[in-house]
Amino acid sequence: MMRPRWHKALADLWSNKMRSLLVIVSIAIGLFAVGLISTTHAWLGLAMRDGYAAQNPANIIITAAGFPADFVDRIRNLPDVQEAEGVALVSLRVQTGQDTSTPIDIQAFPEMDEKQINQLTLLEGKYPPADREIVLDINKLEDTAARLGDTITVQLPSGRLREMKVVGIVRDMTIGAGGMGGGYFIASPQGYITFETLAWLEQPELLNQLHATVRSGDADLEHIQSVAGTLMDEFERNSLITISRAAMTSTAHPNNPYLESMLGLLVMLGFLVVFLSAFIITNTLSALLNQQIQQVGVMKTIGASRFQIRSIYMVLILVYSLAALGLALAFSDRAAYALLTFLSTRINFNLPAVQPVPRSILLQALIALIVPQVAGSLPILQGTRITIQQALSGTGSGNADRPSVVYRWLAKIRGLSRPMLISLRNTFRRRLRLVLTLVTLILGGAIFIGVFNVRTTIDHYMDRLGKYFIADVNLTLSEPHSIREMTAILKQVPGVVSVEGWAGARAELVEPDGSVGEAVILQAVPTDSTLIEPILTAGRWILPGDENAIVLNEMFNESLPGIAIGDTVRLRVNGEETEWVVVGFFQFAGKSGGLLAYTGFDHLSRLTSMTGRSMFYRIVTAEGMHTLEQQEELGAVLEAHLKRQGIEVSEITAGLSLNETTARGLDTLTTFLLFMALLMAAVGSMGLMGTMSLNVMERTREIGVMRAIGATDRHITRLVLVEGMLIGLISWVLACLASFPIGKMLSDVVSIAIFSMPIDFVFTATGVFIWLGLVTILSILASVLPARSAARLTIREVLAYE
Amino acid sequence: MHLAIMNSRFPPEISNHQPLIRLRQVVKVYRTAAGDFPALKGLDLDVEAGEFLAITGKSGAGKTTLVNMITGTDALTSGVVEVGGVNIHQLDENRRALWRGRHLGVIYQSFHLLPNLTLLDNILLPMDFCGLYRRRASRERAMDLLRQMEMADHAHKLPSQISGGQQQRVAIARALANDPPLIVADEPTGRLDSVTAEVIFRIFQQLVAQGKTLVMVTHDRTIAGRVSRMLTIQDGEVLNQPAA
Repeated sequence: MMRPRWHKALADLWSNKMRSLLVIVSIAIGLFAVGLISTTHAWLGLAMRDGYAAQNPANIIITAAGFPADFVDRIRNLPDVQEAEGVALVSLRVQTGQDTSTPIDIQAFPEMDEKQINQLTLLEGKYPPADREIVLDINKLEDTAARLGDTITVQLPSGRLREMKVVGIVRDMTIGAGGMGGGYFIASPQGYITFETLAWLEQPELLNQLHATVRSGDADLEHIQSVAGTLMDEFERNSLITISRAAMTSTAHPNNPYLESMLGLLVMLGFLVVFLSAFIITNTLSALLNQQIQQVGVMKTIGASRFQIRSIYMVLILVYSLAALGLALAFSDRAAYALLTFLSTRINFNLPAVQPVPRSILLQALIALIVPQVAGSLPILQGTRITIQQALSGTGSGNADRPSVVYRWLAKIRGLSRPMLISLRNTFRRRLRLVLTLVTLILGGAIFIGVFNVRTTIDHYMDRLGKYFIADVNLTLSEPHSIREMTAILKQVPGVVSVEGWAGARAELVEPDGSVGEAVILQAVPTDSTLIEPILTAGRWILPGDENAIVLNEMFNESLPGIAIGDTVRLRVNGEETEWVVVGFFQFAGKSGGLLAYTGFDHLSRLTSMTGRSMFYRIVTAEGMHTLEQQEELGAVLEAHLKRQGIEVSEITAGLSLNETTARGLDTLTTFLLFMALLMAAVGSMGLMGTMSLNVMERTREIGVMRAIGATDRHITRLVLVEGMLIGLISWVLACLASFPIGKMLSDVVSIAIFSMPIDFVFTATGVFIWLGLVTILSILASVLPARSAARLTIREVLAYE
Repeated sequence: MHLAIMNSRFPPEISNHQPLIRLRQVVKVYRTAAGDFPALKGLDLDVEAGEFLAITGKSGAGKTTLVNMITGTDALTSGVVEVGGVNIHQLDENRRALWRGRHLGVIYQSFHLLPNLTLLDNILLPMDFCGLYRRRASRERAMDLLRQMEMADHAHKLPSQISGGQQQRVAIARALANDPPLIVADEPTGRLDSVTAEVIFRIFQQLVAQGKTLVMVTHDRTIAGRVSRMLTIQDGEVLNQPAA
């Protein structure tokens, strides 16, 4: 038989179902957010760490001009190497429409069915493909406009077309590993074919990329780098030219850093939701205690100690918490799995077989048991400290407030109607409750607005990065051509205004001990180029007359700590060791940009014996041709025009396409953040709804008196609605202010994750206005229900209310 | 209506040789925004065990304040209040609550039953807080009290489902739950019609007849001949202390 005091706790819960539901849902939302995030975190760890390691990813990737198959055997036999495989990596184009095509990176493996490293997961169809068939990776499948069973048309260097059947769809979790292909988000679609198919695609049957795993210490990056050095020496000993090398551990999924930072942010937001739901609990319980103040007095009269009374309310909170925990547990795992599924396609991992995460359940249980009790402790302490006399006479519930400063100030405003004045006064009547409600709404709103600012900040920075690629069309030829002739040919196409020939070379840092270090992308631009506006952080740009001057991006500071203007950098360019004088530093895309350096076109072209010739062209079009579609259209026209001239195009890209691919990657992040922002908004509006219900409940008698002296349903409804909207509007103004620091903080976290540095914060009005609309709607919704209940009460009911 | 004999828990020597309630120079001053308001001005009062004391006076005279001093539900400004030999205002709040639960039953004009609990639970609650009875015994006792108040058929109803007079009977049953020797009632019939008020008054008379001491605040001066003593309070002072 349950003790009567616990009957009371349960009866209190049951007697006001709406209030109980509000508290339970408030706690549940916080727990749900924490459960969702911690479970997702655990499952992602499983998928990204163990799942990635299960693919036996390469620890070392060395790209070379070419090497024979027996060289791979020699590498395999090195003592520190566990396994080595050679890959032929070719870049071709696949037709996506009548006049459109997209680049595709194709890997051909000599022994495809015995492949050990960088294993692929077959999702659909079959693997390995037969000769002249292709298997595509799922991640950029959309870009190829192909599906399983379709036939894709591949453009060959000669201009001929080959049709290949798509026989399988796989997931390659190693895309972007070691920064190859510009990272996962800007990588081209990936295809996999047999080695024998290469010749049919007019490609040399030549291995040009070495994948190797280490025998031991696959989690020790330093050791892997030292093994990579040994491998590079082996290339050198065999007079094989290397282009780049990358070293990584077996658990370092290429998108790991990006995800870790994102999850860090989400954990923070999750706890913020818990914090906000605690506010709602405090508000609701203080209202409950206020409402029950006489009951507290009666219980004290009949012999209850403070502790006994407190324990009743603590049990009530415990029941709320357990119900919320049940609710959160029922949904958090499902939501986490949905999120995991969403992320698996966005950040490239296989869905693991998942089990409930005990740590996550424990965390939710702990929060459920502790946070609501802490949140409720203040109102419980205050409510039970009151004397019996105060409790029974009703003088202890704070109803006899003196007119506040705000009210006195409001009363001085002329032209305010009496009902409006009542609404305004009511808003400021319960100041602690107002503050807690406002804090909930302000944080929800500030984060909501902040998310838009983060997006705009990144977009703005992407626009600034776009100034490195001002040209409307970027053209890469299969072989160098005279710049003068090319300019003349290209200008024959209507819309082409100017042409610049650039130069580029893969280079490697030469370490002080003479060994070859990290790969560097060396770009050479005409000194009078108008197609690049770098973000200089120190020193100057390349000037006419400069010889071996070089401008470095921010990543050199990590590779060569302490490097300064005037220092000399040694680079190996096309196998030749060269010396360069640093004249400036510029800011680029952080980690995702790798080591990038600019020098003058004339100097590099002399160094590479390409004076007056180039393979890389930057084309500027006339006004009114600057949209992505127009750029792509012109690209197709240019390609056709050059083909007619017998000039082979290797790659042609629209200037804006880089922005588009990057934006796609960032969409995942903003979707994530927006989801959390909406969760915050939901908690905020629940807080407001709770406050409005409590305000109305506490003023039942007052409403009755107003009705008795002539207030209609409309008057009463309007009083409540105005009050709710006023709170919403005040929160909006303050949220706008708070969104500056919060948006800046979010922006820093995100930009450090993506670019490994904070970027200039940009504020946008979009989020401000969307939140204004949303908070107005939420305020109305949150007030409508209490307003209707208030208007529905009869005078007799309200005056009899206790 | 039959009421069982209830044993006093006060020591016999106190019950036999000293007044059950002893007030000396009791002063209560309310501090308000308009200034200090003396509700009781050095009041002395003795109430013997088994007495039925009625306290009357105009509104604001200090009747309820006096009752609050006896029940210990409000703090003294100065003076001494002893009930059953215990200086109740020297007890801390928790001890005073427990003492009150065990030694006196309080009945209010507006009943003050807990609205979300059944009538049975309302009576069980003081027993639960004070721990004088085992659970099964508590339940039997509560049902017994409800039967005595002719409310057993309504045991599982909520207070809102019964009339005011019935609620006051349940409030009396609750006051008797821990079998206290002293019952204090603050205008217990103030909200009831005259017929119901008479029923309640008779219950009180029976309780006194069975050995309880009863202190009752009332506006009804017509009961003067039916109580042991009637005390009139005016402006915080005892106007007279005539024996009934």
